[in-house]
Amino acid sequence: VSPVPAALIWDPAVTAYKFRPDHPFNPRRLELSVSLIEALGLIDGDQARMVAPRYATEAELLAVHSREYLDAVRRYSGGAAATGAGRWGLGTDDTPIFPGMHEVTSLVSGATIRAAELVMSGQVTRAFSIAGGLHHAHRDRASGFCVYSDLAAAIAWIRREHGGKVMYIDYDAHHGDGVQGIFYEDPDVLTLSLHESGRYLFPGTGFVDELGEGDGYGYSLNVPLEAFTEDDSWLDIHRKLIPEVMEAYRPDVVILQSGCDGHALDPLTHLRSSTRLFEETTRIVCETADRVCGGRVVATGGGGYAIWQVVPRAWTLVWGALSGQEVPNAIPREWLDRWQGEAPVLLPTLVRDAAEDHSPVPRRAEIEATNRRTLDSLRRQALPLIRGWGLGF
Amino acid sequence: MLVKKRMTHDPVVVSPRHSLADALRLTRERRIRHLPVVDNGVLVGMVSDRDVRTAMPSPLTEPDERRVEFLERTRVADVMKADVESIGPLDTVEDAAKLMRRRRISALPVVDAHGAVLGILSESDVLDAFVEIVGPANASSRLEIALPDRAGELARAMRVIGEELGVNVCSVMVPPGTPGERRVAIVHVATIDPRETIHALEAAGFEVGWPSLETDLRAGGSA
Repeated sequence: VSPVPAALIWDPAVTAYKFRPDHPFNPRRLELSVSLIEALGLIDGDQARMVAPRYATEAELLAVHSREYLDAVRRYSGGAAATGAGRWGLGTDDTPIFPGMHEVTSLVSGATIRAAELVMSGQVTRAFSIAGGLHHAHRDRASGFCVYSDLAAAIAWIRREHGGKVMYIDYDAHHGDGVQGIFYEDPDVLTLSLHESGRYLFPGTGFVDELGEGDGYGYSLNVPLEAFTEDDSWLDIHRKLIPEVMEAYRPDVVILQSGCDGHALDPLTHLRSSTRLFEETTRIVCETADRVCGGRVVATGGGGYAIWQVVPRAWTLVWGALSGQEVPNAIPREWLDRWQGEAPVLLPTLVRDAAEDHSPVPRRAEIEATNRRTLDSLRRQALPLIRGWGLGF
Repeated sequence: MLVKKRMTHDPVVVSPRHSLADALRLTRERRIRHLPVVDNGVLVGMVSDRDVRTAMPSPLTEPDERRVEFLERTRVADVMKADVESIGPLDTVEDAAKLMRRRRISALPVVDAHGAVLGILSESDVLDAFVEIVGPANASSRLEIALPDRAGELARAMRVIGEELGVNVCSVMVPPGTPGERRVAIVHVATIDPRETIHALEAAGFEVGWPSLETDLRAGGSA
């Protein structure tokens, strides 16, 4: 492990992306994560620094959202009556309207574009837009806690300013349907989403046969994992597939959505990973990017609803892997003292889950066999379609 | 669901006087397997690439030039299936599917009252319709709700979801079960977080299927 120039995009102002006091998408998790990163000494102000976000411009948002949708969000954000909001996916239980939502979602989107700017200009090799990762937002519809697609806006910004090819990797437990949909016909953006199967879980898509359309056929890849998939099976797929696809596709930069709701303690999903998954997968992505595209990785947050027990530790490990810093395993006393009073659960004292935290899953062999079959099916169908595959690059 | 919504409109057709060579070329060029045979604007039969191949002399006994000559010389009328099943555009896809299954037909011509060919409905069209019906219409979570076989149970479950919680139901499928036994409704709800929905349904006495380590869905009442 050696330090890599990296930027954490952060300003407490992004915590205004908050729907309701009891809403599961709770920005407190961002403060918990950033404060743990700082308490562990993982921001040194030199190689690993903190950079403030900017607002996305209207033109940057219009690159991936329709004018009508943007106008609707702005109207409701400014206090217009919520009539007709359902048409835009707003005013629902998942994505309620809140005052100022246009402005703060523009800031979250700008944070991820800022991360892309820093990486593409060579000022840093990796950047982490921890408030970003709104992968369910569609061109003209909010969905699943996501209003604007910071991810798609950053990808479109890279394509416009620098050209080249972008590979999007998404290990959030939910399918990255918004980003996939926006670039479904675009061969210059390859999306790879690994998630709990949509057989039961929201959004109900992300099956192997969703391969893209038109020129983009073969550039949308999905690995739907069985419910209750654990580290070993999941990591086995990451180790095989991520280098294989990245080396075939030869992107110029990688966008990584690192939602941590696949953890066993997450209340919204049925995957059973430990913290190891997030650290190792981020490393796999970075090491492959080192070989393929100068190490350029723009990472974001995403889902993660066990906000006290999991999210701060998972995203600290993601930041450690991105910035090439070894993360100490003991959680500092000062951090525990600062947050334990507010936490409804006992806070963990170690950054990494211990093996004994995890109870084995019945049906493990069957789950692993199904996942292997899914991977084989995807490789059979998709890999021959990716430009350059099999030409011995 | 009506046949006219799922069929392929204005399919490629042949006349009974076309040669088999013409018919075979059409199936290759258009990548199709079945050709309605039309005479004077009216359906008179169906011919498939398989019908042509079956009629052809074997390459083991006949030289290639004889086989080519056979294809040029033989008319569609000589190998087509005459007096075939057909269906109307306003019939339902489920009726079409039953007919295709019972008669082992893999493509049905769709005709109007005068016998003019309007379209063709293939096995793939039926499967596409099935996938669309059982799949999610919008981003949603999928629940399975066990319903006792008595009046009002489905309505009661929908009231819990729609009225008590205000969660939008995007689609509902209730395959008929054995009378007297519970049926399992497959319900897509438009939320990423169905925890409250599940709790409310359980509180109302429904058993809900959703991935769980305690109850194995495959062994349980899952549809």
